Amino acid sequence: MKVVVIGAGMVGNRFVDELGRIAPDVDVDLLGEESYEPYNRVLLTELVAGRVDLAGLALPTPDEGRVRVRPGAAALEIDRERRCVVTAQGEFEYDHLVLATGARGRVIPIPGLRDGLPRGAHVLRSLDDARDISAAALNVDRAVVIGGGPLGIELACGLQHRGVSVTVMSIMPTMLDRDLDPVVAQIAESTAKDLGIDFVGNAQIASVAVSDGRVTAVRLEDGTSYPAGLVVLAAGTAPETGLAGAAGLETNMGIVVGEDLRTTLDPRISAIGDCAETPSGVSGLVAPGWAQARALARSIAHDTELELPPISGSAMRLKAVGMSVVTMGIRASTASERDRVVTLSDPRERRHVELVARGDTLVGVTCVGAPDLAAHLSTQFDRPGMLPADPMLLLMGTGSMGVVESASPTTMPAATTVCRCNGVTKGDLVHAWDCGSTTVEALASATLATTGCGGCKKLVCGIVDWLQETDPPEISQASDEAREATVPSR
Amino acid sequence: MTDTHCPYCALQCAQKLGGDPIAAEPRAFPTNVGGMCQKGWTSAELLRAQDRITTPLRRTPTGFEPVGWDEALDDIAARVQAIQAEHGPDGVAVFGGGGLTNEKAYQLGKFARLALRTRLIDYNGRFCMSSAAAAANRTLGIDRGLPFPLTDLNDADVVVLFGSNLADTMPPAVQHLGGVRERGGLIVVDPRVSATAKLTEEGGGEHVQLVPGTDLVFILGLLHIVFAESLFDSDYLAARVDGVDAVRRSVAEWWPERVAATTGVSETQLRRIARILADASPHRGGKGAFLLTGRGSEQHVDGTDTVTAVINLALTLGLVGAERGGYGAITGQGNGQGGREHGQKSDQLPGYRMIVDPAAREHVAAVWGVDPDAIPGAGVPAVQLLMSLGQPDGPRALFVHGSNVLVSAPDAGTIRRRVESLDLVVVCDFIPSETAMLADYILPVTQWAEEEGTMTGLEGRVLRRRKAVEAPDGVRSELEIFSELAARLDAPSTWPTEPREVYDELRLASAGGRADYAGISYDRLDAGEALYWPCPSEDHPGTPRLFAESFPTPTGKAKMIAVRAVGPDDVLRADAPVWLVTGRVLQHYQSGAQTRRVAKLNDSMPRAYVEIHPVLAQRIGVEGIDNISITSRRGSMVAQARISPDIRPDTVFVPFHFADEGMVNAVTSSATDPVSGMPEFKVCAVQISREATA
Repeated sequence: MKVVVIGAGMVGNRFVDELGRIAPDVDVDLLGEESYEPYNRVLLTELVAGRVDLAGLALPTPDEGRVRVRPGAAALEIDRERRCVVTAQGEFEYDHLVLATGARGRVIPIPGLRDGLPRGAHVLRSLDDARDISAAALNVDRAVVIGGGPLGIELACGLQHRGVSVTVMSIMPTMLDRDLDPVVAQIAESTAKDLGIDFVGNAQIASVAVSDGRVTAVRLEDGTSYPAGLVVLAAGTAPETGLAGAAGLETNMGIVVGEDLRTTLDPRISAIGDCAETPSGVSGLVAPGWAQARALARSIAHDTELELPPISGSAMRLKAVGMSVVTMGIRASTASERDRVVTLSDPRERRHVELVARGDTLVGVTCVGAPDLAAHLSTQFDRPGMLPADPMLLLMGTGSMGVVESASPTTMPAATTVCRCNGVTKGDLVHAWDCGSTTVEALASATLATTGCGGCKKLVCGIVDWLQETDPPEISQASDEAREATVPSR
Repeated sequence: MTDTHCPYCALQCAQKLGGDPIAAEPRAFPTNVGGMCQKGWTSAELLRAQDRITTPLRRTPTGFEPVGWDEALDDIAARVQAIQAEHGPDGVAVFGGGGLTNEKAYQLGKFARLALRTRLIDYNGRFCMSSAAAAANRTLGIDRGLPFPLTDLNDADVVVLFGSNLADTMPPAVQHLGGVRERGGLIVVDPRVSATAKLTEEGGGEHVQLVPGTDLVFILGLLHIVFAESLFDSDYLAARVDGVDAVRRSVAEWWPERVAATTGVSETQLRRIARILADASPHRGGKGAFLLTGRGSEQHVDGTDTVTAVINLALTLGLVGAERGGYGAITGQGNGQGGREHGQKSDQLPGYRMIVDPAAREHVAAVWGVDPDAIPGAGVPAVQLLMSLGQPDGPRALFVHGSNVLVSAPDAGTIRRRVESLDLVVVCDFIPSETAMLADYILPVTQWAEEEGTMTGLEGRVLRRRKAVEAPDGVRSELEIFSELAARLDAPSTWPTEPREVYDELRLASAGGRADYAGISYDRLDAGEALYWPCPSEDHPGTPRLFAESFPTPTGKAKMIAVRAVGPDDVLRADAPVWLVTGRVLQHYQSGAQTRRVAKLNDSMPRAYVEIHPVLAQRIGVEGIDNISITSRRGSMVAQARISPDIRPDTVFVPFHFADEGMVNAVTSSATDPVSGMPEFKVCAVQISREATA
């Protein structure tokens, strides 16, 4: 079977990889618009931050025998009659066509931007965008990021990390408004502030000032002006539907598909990832896109019905230098009355953790500034059964809430094992001491303590010191008789 | 006094045996540095086991009856011939053990191929070292547990233990971590705060308490950071490694935040560890790092891939073959190393030769004095072999040597039914183990201090085991049994019964193979030489460190292989919402058949227990000394709760050394790694509940 995939982004590439693994008889062309081999788009903000180098973005190459990756083969037209895709590199026939065209960065139609982007203004969608932004960051002192969602915040942190002063502007009142309730967002904003990032909420942007074809500032409706040599637009994306629309497929927000990810008007054409509008909406995150890729690959390879993976409830994990934000599922403001909501708020430490437990399942997690706990709670999220009787106990992570055993030779209980290798307790040592073994060496031969890994030697010395002080041996009585009686008591 | 080595684990602590009653004490040796754990100190007790078997025993409807050796061997041979007449040579199967001396392991492989003419032989090392072996072979071209002396660890900046609890399994080895702990460089990756993990406290290093079954994702995350942040050794990779690009691409999708959500290890800790490792690497001026795997990371359905990823990481940092640093697997059983080199494995001939390789067959056939065609082809790995017992096309008879599969194999309930369905079960052992109790014949054999031989320790160093006492009357060595049965089965070749003669034949058979023992003689060992294989001739000094110049691969370069995380075979679900992990305690060895018979060991650890976090204990209403029952699709077990914050709240731990109702392998999964055949002992999904105490 000939399969053609339009779009060599993360979802298109994953689909090809999955399909190649499970369907031995397919022949696949993966058409990429960009001139690069498939790369990890999710890490573009990390590239800007300098935490990933370019080579670190390259994605696995699919099986060369059956899959041909064609960079620079922008699809120009889909000919549904002839079942082929027209590109500058030639035509590609298909038995099944998969659209994974993704989304493009939304450009807000304001003066300064609406006639094409001036120099210094960028969206962040492609590798070229990321390289341009990185290059620009070398030459400017101030930048404005428009958009207070995860992409905007990651970008802002990355630029700040590179030494650029950043202001984030959002039309919404608070930072990460889709993910965080306002009171939590306050803490995230404080974290950003600590890093040197200003946040301007409810920003009514009037225009981008341009001089000599280069941006110089961003102006708000209220007249304030923010000088900036770099403006990055991270104010949402729009599904890339042009090609599908031109081919007569149904489009709305995105390319409309059914529960089976097939387009509504042509079952030989599917759409997955950011470009697809499924009955449960458009995704915009990589995890649901990957789940769609996997599901579609299986249904094509095995010719079986497909179970549409859910989009909602997907996790948001910020990848930002200096900021840790993770959200999963429901948050406090959307919890129902029967849910248990447990909150730990520690604004001064820029920390906030919020759990939502429903019955026996953890259905919501919000963590700001608590990466260790976020990692633990992620592994507990949506797990079947077995929540702690009191969900508050989840806040202790994998730890023990500070139960510490005494390590002092004076206060440790007699039953405490001193020498693990030979199972010798403090009580055994005290007994041997009483029977006349009053040096470390004598205790070793009497009890075998210290004769394994030797790790308890310090502790045994400590016990000897303590016994010297509290129960000194009688000088005259290092009797052999007593010593014989000490042959290991265990 | 007789200089020998402890009968238990692969550390093979050097000891002296003597006195009346005979007792063991440690002696100076590089691996144990004069130390010995409770098992070693009490090992001489084994020689006085109350229920020692001293005469062949035959099953009757009412129990076992003693029979003479000739009668037993005649009957066994006749029944083997009858079974093979009806079912062909593969009607008989052999199951060996990683505790057998090199001589016995070698002769067992030969016995299976030439006397029983079966291809069906495998051994319990499949449960132990097979994933590490498969990964090392396919990347480095050779499998020697530690390709460097253990003492090297002391000088490194960092030692990472991926799923090893050596503070319990081989306590004296902890001494070699002293230096690295002083420098704060010990990193222990384990879902439990094990005794070994506690060595990282107070500045010793750090503990990574990941979700069971996510080791591979954790390692892919480290690789991601090493590539993303350009922490790798580019000169080393260019000069010595193939396959880098595919690995780099394969980890691009495992960015730290994603890894955190799967493993429970935060991106901060992940980044920190990646940088610590990089800074310890020679190319960044470090003093070296050792990456060591144990069963915790290996006993998974993706165990081979997990070890492969660890090796990829070691290669990426330029550690393998560096003056100080590298990858190693910490061998478990006493002769886990030698036991896998001389023909007990289903697909191997002596010297780590592959049985399907015509040149290898020719070489070994010449040593054996037979036609290469007389050597059967490759068999099947342990779990597949055990599960096929008594099945319509499966074997009808089984010989068991040095293994207690009824306790140590996964899904033990099914294994028991398979063994029970056989026509003939012959178990060679010196005590009535759980497996022996199912035998038609139990043949009493010599043990450890009653025999001569060699063992190969975890470093690939060949060690002499020496006879300190006479075996009880009526007991024979396995070498004698092989010889007697071979004669009765009209086997070709010769069947010496003196260990030294068998060993000299092993040297010839291994000559030119990957594990070349040709130059390692009893005389050289007895003269005190420290000899590590390969050692191709008597004037060769042996090879303490491998890979300094090149890798024994066709290109001379190491081969990095991209792997994919698939996760455990089992999934958590409403009726099995808790992870079960299994492991060891200090007092017992393997199935406990030996150590449960030593009073001091058994008194301090007489039965299994369920380690459970206080939060989970509270959740199921367990407090104090309640019993907990654990159930999976395979079966169930019961043991007392041990409530401890040292385990993750989503996981329970049970040691596997026990039989009867405390036998955790009734619960474990028999899913296996597709490459190595290693079962996934280390993680399965279970239901747990409080068991009303009687």
